[in-house]
Amino acid sequence: MPVRSLVAVLVLVLASAPGASPTRAQGPRVIEITAERFEFWPSEVVVAEGEQVELRLRSDDTMHGFRIIGAGIGAGTNVLIPKRGSGYVVVTYIGDRPGRYTFECSRMCGAGHNFMRGVLVVRPQ
Amino acid sequence: MDYAIRKSRFRLFAILAIGVSALTPLRAAAQDAAAQGVTGPLSGYMDFHFNKADGEPGVLDFHRFVLLLNHSFSSRLRFVGELELEHAFVEGLEESGELELEQAYMDFLLSRRVNLRAGMLLMPVGIINERHEPPVYNGVERPFVDTVIIPTTWFDVGAGVHGELGRGLRYRAYVVAPLNAVEFTADEGIRGGKQKGSEADVRNVGYTARAEYRPVQWLTLGASVWTGDTSFATPRLDTSVALGEFDARFRRDRLELRWQFAQVHIDDAERLNDSLARTVGVSPNIGKALRGFYGEAAYRVWNAGAPRDLVVFGRYESFDTQFRMPEGYVPLKEFDRDAWITGITYYPEPDIAVKADYVYLRNQSGVFPNRHLINIGLGWWF
Repeated sequence: MPVRSLVAVLVLVLASAPGASPTRAQGPRVIEITAERFEFWPSEVVVAEGEQVELRLRSDDTMHGFRIIGAGIGAGTNVLIPKRGSGYVVVTYIGDRPGRYTFECSRMCGAGHNFMRGVLVVRPQ
Repeated sequence: MDYAIRKSRFRLFAILAIGVSALTPLRAAAQDAAAQGVTGPLSGYMDFHFNKADGEPGVLDFHRFVLLLNHSFSSRLRFVGELELEHAFVEGLEESGELELEQAYMDFLLSRRVNLRAGMLLMPVGIINERHEPPVYNGVERPFVDTVIIPTTWFDVGAGVHGELGRGLRYRAYVVAPLNAVEFTADEGIRGGKQKGSEADVRNVGYTARAEYRPVQWLTLGASVWTGDTSFATPRLDTSVALGEFDARFRRDRLELRWQFAQVHIDDAERLNDSLARTVGVSPNIGKALRGFYGEAAYRVWNAGAPRDLVVFGRYESFDTQFRMPEGYVPLKEFDRDAWITGITYYPEPDIAVKADYVYLRNQSGVFPNRHLINIGLGWWF
């Protein structure tokens, strides 16, 4: 397995359980994302090519999901976002390849569930 | 040779170590998700109420039993269905309950900007029609404006597009089956005119659209429109309907504010009344303009996370289904109403809402008494 792919896959995996806060001297940029019926805020996240970011996902209401779809780097990432008041889940993401990668709610959350989408934009350096 | 073996073992060890470290948080997350509740292939919401009006016996009603199901044919082709049983019981020719197919559509997800949707659709009008799960709104019953001016839950067959144009700007626009003007009434406006996708007559069509803009996290602004010719059952008339709506939602820290304004205009209401009077012998006295608005303030007084989660709210509503009458028709002041609603919503769990409220419902007639209502409800989403 190419080293680059191995690193990319590992970095994309969940970093910690909900509510936990990694302690690093100099960690990746932290981006807070809030999920609520029926949208993410922000719904557009911009990452520089090669940049590693920590997405902290929390909910303002019910349990939601966060899945990156498509064929790009990160495809297959799928986590549950805990309900309001139960902390957050962390996804560590690296902008390995420039492009636009759609993310969406992966857990049925109500009548407007399919509206709940956003985009990860990886900008070239 | 030894070096090659050592190198190979080191690689194997490194891969295993990295693999284990990667899987551990996955397991932790899965366990945590399980601790928060497990959902099956079905989702849905339910609510039942106790309603007591002064001078009348109390009523206990299992108001809504709703099941949602969804299926992904692929990441771009999705089905969503919503089946609702209202008032717990349905029998032929009885008006006690309803079994409704409120949503059943296919989504063709093309891009962030443009996606296609077809089937049984929720009209994208107002705050509540697309966000009607019990934990989402305050009050045991939905707002009056979202009942008699905007006829929630408003759904019908159609097709259209939806998407997000830029950061925070979303839209949907559909072509749908029209309302049937023959079923309009004086007290509930256009509500009875919904065809509900049941062998809907589409000699005419309706057009509906909504735009939502969220410039900052704590503010959402919305505007909706529905317009269409509704006179297919009376082709000689020209009773087109135009509904316009504006709303705003503000939420910051513990405070949440909601505001909504809606107005309906019915063209050719004079001839519609005349035509129906000739048919049934009594004029339905349908207004040519209906108007309603409300403002709501809610404050999370207990904010320590469920089960220490309590919201107090107050709402004022004004709604008149005979705001403007056709030439020669007199408005009945009993339909010029307003209401004060105050109550609490307690969340023992974020998806369960225990609600209680008091409603003071007034009308301007001077003949019909104002009403005092006590409502208690339990609603949940799963």
